Amino acid sequence: MLAIKRVPTVVSVNQDCGSVSRDCLQSCFLTGFDLPLFKYTKKMKTTELQLLGDEEVPSSPPTIERSFLGTLLLSKWEERASQGLFRYDVTACESRVLSGNYGFIAQLNEGRHLKKRLTEFRVDQVLQEFDPKKFNFSKVNRNEVLFQFGEGEEAGYYDITPILSSPDIVLINVSPIEYGHVLLVPRLFDFVPQRLCANDLLLALYFTAEVDCPYFRVGYNSLGAFATINHLHFQAYYLAYPFPVECASITRINKGSLKSSLRISELVDYPVKGVVYESMDLNEIAISVASTCQELELRNIPFNLLICDCGTRVFLFPQCFARKQALHQVSQKVLDTQVNPAAWEIGGHIVLKRKEDYEHATEEFVTALLAEVSLSDPDFQDVKNIICK
Amino acid sequence: MALQNGSLLSSDRKCVRSPRMKNHKLIVSQSLIRSYRASIQDELQKHAYNFVLCDPGLPDHPIVYASDGFLEMTGYSRDEVLGRNCRFLQGRDTDKRAIVEIREAIREERDCQIKILNYTKAGKPFWNLFHLAPVFSQQDGRVVHFVGVQLPISSKVAARKDGHLTGLELSFDELEFEEHFDNPSCKNYHLSEEDKQRAFAAVKAVLQELANSSCKGVSSMRSKSFSEGVIPPGFVATSLLLALTRIPHSFVLTDPHLPDMPIVHASLEFLELTGYTREEVIGRNCRFLQGPDTDLAPIEELRSSISEGQTCTIRILNYRKNKEPFWNSLHISPVRNSSGKVAYYAGIQVAVSHSSEEDEGRARMQQLGTLGAIKVAVRSIQTGPVLRKSKTIS
Repeated sequence: MLAIKRVPTVVSVNQDCGSVSRDCLQSCFLTGFDLPLFKYTKKMKTTELQLLGDEEVPSSPPTIERSFLGTLLLSKWEERASQGLFRYDVTACESRVLSGNYGFIAQLNEGRHLKKRLTEFRVDQVLQEFDPKKFNFSKVNRNEVLFQFGEGEEAGYYDITPILSSPDIVLINVSPIEYGHVLLVPRLFDFVPQRLCANDLLLALYFTAEVDCPYFRVGYNSLGAFATINHLHFQAYYLAYPFPVECASITRINKGSLKSSLRISELVDYPVKGVVYESMDLNEIAISVASTCQELELRNIPFNLLICDCGTRVFLFPQCFARKQALHQVSQKVLDTQVNPAAWEIGGHIVLKRKEDYEHATEEFVTALLAEVSLSDPDFQDVKNIICK
Repeated sequence: MALQNGSLLSSDRKCVRSPRMKNHKLIVSQSLIRSYRASIQDELQKHAYNFVLCDPGLPDHPIVYASDGFLEMTGYSRDEVLGRNCRFLQGRDTDKRAIVEIREAIREERDCQIKILNYTKAGKPFWNLFHLAPVFSQQDGRVVHFVGVQLPISSKVAARKDGHLTGLELSFDELEFEEHFDNPSCKNYHLSEEDKQRAFAAVKAVLQELANSSCKGVSSMRSKSFSEGVIPPGFVATSLLLALTRIPHSFVLTDPHLPDMPIVHASLEFLELTGYTREEVIGRNCRFLQGPDTDLAPIEELRSSISEGQTCTIRILNYRKNKEPFWNSLHISPVRNSSGKVAYYAGIQVAVSHSSEEDEGRARMQQLGTLGAIKVAVRSIQTGPVLRKSKTIS
């Protein structure tokens, strides 16, 4: 067994509690609990009819405006911030772009990793069984729950509704990387471990599309690729700046066809090897990405996903950093910065916990760090073969 | 974006104007009048180039001027393009990388020359040598407009009905365009120096015209002192503007570091709510919204909150330009930029009447949601000097 010791990020105030607190989500769920509900629909929204052309008149007035989900998310987040629920004010964290070719973004965040206790994480098993004794999202404090996200015939927002029977929940991350940092937990009470299937990924894509903002990205980290909690979840936050990976050159690796608009390309000239899936059809992306990811899970290859462009672009990064770390193949200098290269870091957004690391951060340092993430050429070729078969 | 059975419909052949631009004719003409003399449209008309002017300070960075050549090249009418973002020129096979390049140049407020696949209204693809250049205000250093010059590289599109090619249209051998190809950067094309020079010349001519016709002074380059780090008060970078103009609510940003805390940015919705134009509000303290029956108590509360760097929500009687009073639920909050320090104070307005509890709840959500969006925008790293080496596709 291969394992590494690292300081896990605290995403909930209840994360270290042994016992189940009375006002945690699980308890509230059992006793009955009201939550705001945002309903999205897979059908064309009446709001969109208005945008198709001035000649078209919508059949009924729109129930909610475009990107209402964004407004909802931001307003709830801001409310929690004013209630002091976050461990620190993330807007007081300094950021800058590192000069060079890629435009990596470095942030000084001293508050994120205050917890000193190291935890052991197994890195050679991407699929692990759900362990109810460990922390999971039913144990979060009820105040950390923002709203539930559900599918319906009509899009709509309901301020106070009883919690659904199998809700998809949006929570705050009490140690945010950026403003609006939330966790999306599909079918929370199904207690699914961290692994991907097309439906859950499709939910994340719809979530991204509904927020309808190019600054809002959603990420996924598999076990072994720096997921902290083995309970199915995605993370998301706003950053009004391009992620370096979004600007990277790409070259197509799948064949075009008349039936499908799905483009799969390989990153060219980027420090991490990866592929990107692009399509206007969310179903198509979800099915294709999930199928590859399931294959990677079976082969024990950890990976990260970064969903951009309102759900129409998904980056997939198979990685082996944690494995190298477990085998003592990563330099101490890199380990000392305690940067865990998960989806955000690989995308080019690096959070540094020590002032000296931030002040001396350079593109060379980030490139060196990310170079340890990539699979070897033959291993990456195997992954491409999986994708293109 | 529209969702239909899991597919996102792109706004391709149908020109989509932001719903916030319903008074687009007025807004668009104001954009030009603000910076140039009234004769500007006639002056620009004299040039036979294909070009547009876009205003990054308006929602979705819309076109505010389009030359006849541009309209002919693309097949749209003037009314169809004014007030709309240029993305209607993009289509299924437009290289995303090229779009990203243009976006970066806009954010970094610099020139960009790039080959990009565009589409006419009829859906016909053509290769376009696109040259983008910012127009800077000499007063406050902001980018007032972006000039976009198009040089089509396909004789099919360029040829006019009488068979003569005008302006910058070049005659190339007819290209065979494949429906599906693997790499749309189209290695078949080789841009000559001549092409690039023609594009440069066009941009230069348009910029010269704008400079000649400007009221307060514009130029293709920032003032020397700016480049040396002397930033004029009230300067707002394009990248911040692009993020702020996405926010579809009434709000202002004021600068607490400048004397009398003037407004440095006002949203379109604020201008519509209050009836003022941008020129009438930028640089002034918000107190011009107060009037004869405005209570002094909430203003005191506001003042003390600001001096303590706190947020606060007050209900205050304000007046529109036409003297019409309205109740304003005003929420203010300090907003930090990428340095982590307070850069602005945001003021978010919701016009309220005798509102029900549900309306209050909704108004509150809009306020906080708007504040969140402002925090995201202001927190973004503002690019001044170019930090990334630009990769112009040749």
